[in-house]
Amino acid sequence: MTWLTWRQYRMATVTAAALIAAFAALVVITGLNMATQFHTAFGSCLAAGTCRFPNDDIGLGGGPLGFIIEFTLAVPAVLGMFIGAPLVAREIETGTGQFSWTQAVTRRRWLAVKVGWLLLAALAWGGAVGALVTWWSGPKNAAYLSAFNPGTFDVQGIMPAVYSLFAMALGIAAGALIRRILPALGVTLFGYFGIRLIIMGWIRQHYMTPVTTKFSVAQAVPFIPKGAAWQLAQGVLGPNGPISLPNSASVQIIGNGFPISAVPPVCHVHGAGDQTAAILSCLAKHGYAQYVTYQPAYRYWPFQFIEAGIFVAFAALLIAVAFAVINRRDA
Amino acid sequence: MSGPERRFNAVTGTDGPDSAEPIGAAAIETTALTKRYRRATALSDCTITVPQGRISALVGPNGAGKSTLLRLLTGLARPSDGAARVLGSPPRQDPAFLADIGYLAQDVPLYRRLSAEDHIRACTKLNKRWDAATARTRLRELRVPLDRAVGTLSGGQRAQVGLSLALAKQPRLLLLDEPVAALDPLARRHFLSTITTAMAEAEGRLTVVLSSHLIGDLERICDHLILLAESRVQLCGDIEDLLAEHTVLVGPRKDTAAIEQAHTVVHSTLTPRQSTLVIKRGGPVIDPAYQAEDISLEELVLAYMGAAAPAAYTHLTAVGEDQ
Repeated sequence: MTWLTWRQYRMATVTAAALIAAFAALVVITGLNMATQFHTAFGSCLAAGTCRFPNDDIGLGGGPLGFIIEFTLAVPAVLGMFIGAPLVAREIETGTGQFSWTQAVTRRRWLAVKVGWLLLAALAWGGAVGALVTWWSGPKNAAYLSAFNPGTFDVQGIMPAVYSLFAMALGIAAGALIRRILPALGVTLFGYFGIRLIIMGWIRQHYMTPVTTKFSVAQAVPFIPKGAAWQLAQGVLGPNGPISLPNSASVQIIGNGFPISAVPPVCHVHGAGDQTAAILSCLAKHGYAQYVTYQPAYRYWPFQFIEAGIFVAFAALLIAVAFAVINRRDA
Repeated sequence: MSGPERRFNAVTGTDGPDSAEPIGAAAIETTALTKRYRRATALSDCTITVPQGRISALVGPNGAGKSTLLRLLTGLARPSDGAARVLGSPPRQDPAFLADIGYLAQDVPLYRRLSAEDHIRACTKLNKRWDAATARTRLRELRVPLDRAVGTLSGGQRAQVGLSLALAKQPRLLLLDEPVAALDPLARRHFLSTITTAMAEAEGRLTVVLSSHLIGDLERICDHLILLAESRVQLCGDIEDLLAEHTVLVGPRKDTAAIEQAHTVVHSTLTPRQSTLVIKRGGPVIDPAYQAEDISLEELVLAYMGAAAPAAYTHLTAVGEDQ
């Protein structure tokens, strides 16, 4: 079984290896370049410990390669669509299942060996791309403190390997259920990006209870969470909860964004001198404060592992579905 | 051979798959085997027996359920109703069962990009019992290139590859679904002689079911017949017996009531002057007006197929009736 699997995916393996090698060459060359650029710009301030990040003065990792890096988001989908989805669907469509499933190997065993190797390959390819992108993005992450950004978080660390595993499992299950290559391919594409988008946009921020830091409404420089934290919300809290900005085109504000219309009558200060400072200190006295809600930077790896757990669970479920249908339905 | 007790077992499955198989048992035994798809019934109420060591011709019009029957016997498809016993047990997902079945599906589905040699090597890994040497020798003798992608071979060569792979398993039951349909006469002869040689070598341990439209070919090598039409079994049995039971009567066109009383008229062809009747004899034919002739396999098959044909076809067999 393993021999047949290797024989059938020999070309795909060679092609993938060649693509990864080419990608690695690009990444290494531009990555070294970027590291040099980073040290030229920040070497002295790093040595003195005076660097202020995020620092947007330096352009790192732009150009076509930056684009390609963003597009590694699609690597798992490609694996799932073109390797995963045809696994069972092609056997049914071309009828070769009638040949391979009447040899002295049960369909379950056939599926177990193929799925095992394909999932392993997905982990390996996804992992390789992820490792390259993670290394390449090092200076960028340091300068921009962007590790948590959607589109950055998703192409670094263990995520590419895990997403590849999931996409492969999704493709295999779709192919086993739908049994036609093209529709299975479409379902894999939309399923993969759909689920990823939902998790990224609405679920990920709730993995752990975010931290809210309050600070004086009079503080001129707002509090900034340390390092590459993920800022979820900021604003002003009144005695009765957050104060929202009125929904009109121009709003007069004071301080770091306190709408004048929301200033309570007690703090309507009149007279000479710095009125703004007077109003703000009055507000602080009456229980108004600024706040920032965020996921701290040190939660980066916990978040990676939580999301990995979710997608590995999905993958396991999908593979279970494929095993359930392979025997139950006519070949 | 297929007493009520065995049938009972086949239906209930109480006679487990591991039970000892009686000597001379049927290679294939089905009871009311039925396969329904969402839109149509492909096979209904199919009860047949094929004894071991036979080479059985599976015939019938397109869509009669031949492929469905073969797929049910391999276990690739599951029956909607009824039961099958193949080599003593119901078809199942089990290496021991699969090892005994050689199956060549319609249109010889093989991996187009892999060569014959690749297939042979893959099968060596997939089957414990596997005779790679004979498969290679056979293909070399037929000058089938072993190293070229199967998709680039001619239809005849591909069929030979498929057959060689099926035979190399040394199966006890070989199921061939229209394997010669696409072959030229010479390739067909090679193919059929490969089967008969394998039968001779197996010394009665091999049973073959071969579906085809080419009755001339089947007549040469088969000794058993299964005739399906309209998804039902019309005939099943030893070809010699079937031919002996049936007679063609040719005589003047006249009332056939007397004949119908004494025999079973399978099919009649009437022209203004003459009637030709295919009958299953209920006794000696004594009407001197009729000339009794021996029936050929082709006539027998056509008679039963015609009898089962849908109404739309009946005008073909009743040409001239009203002239």
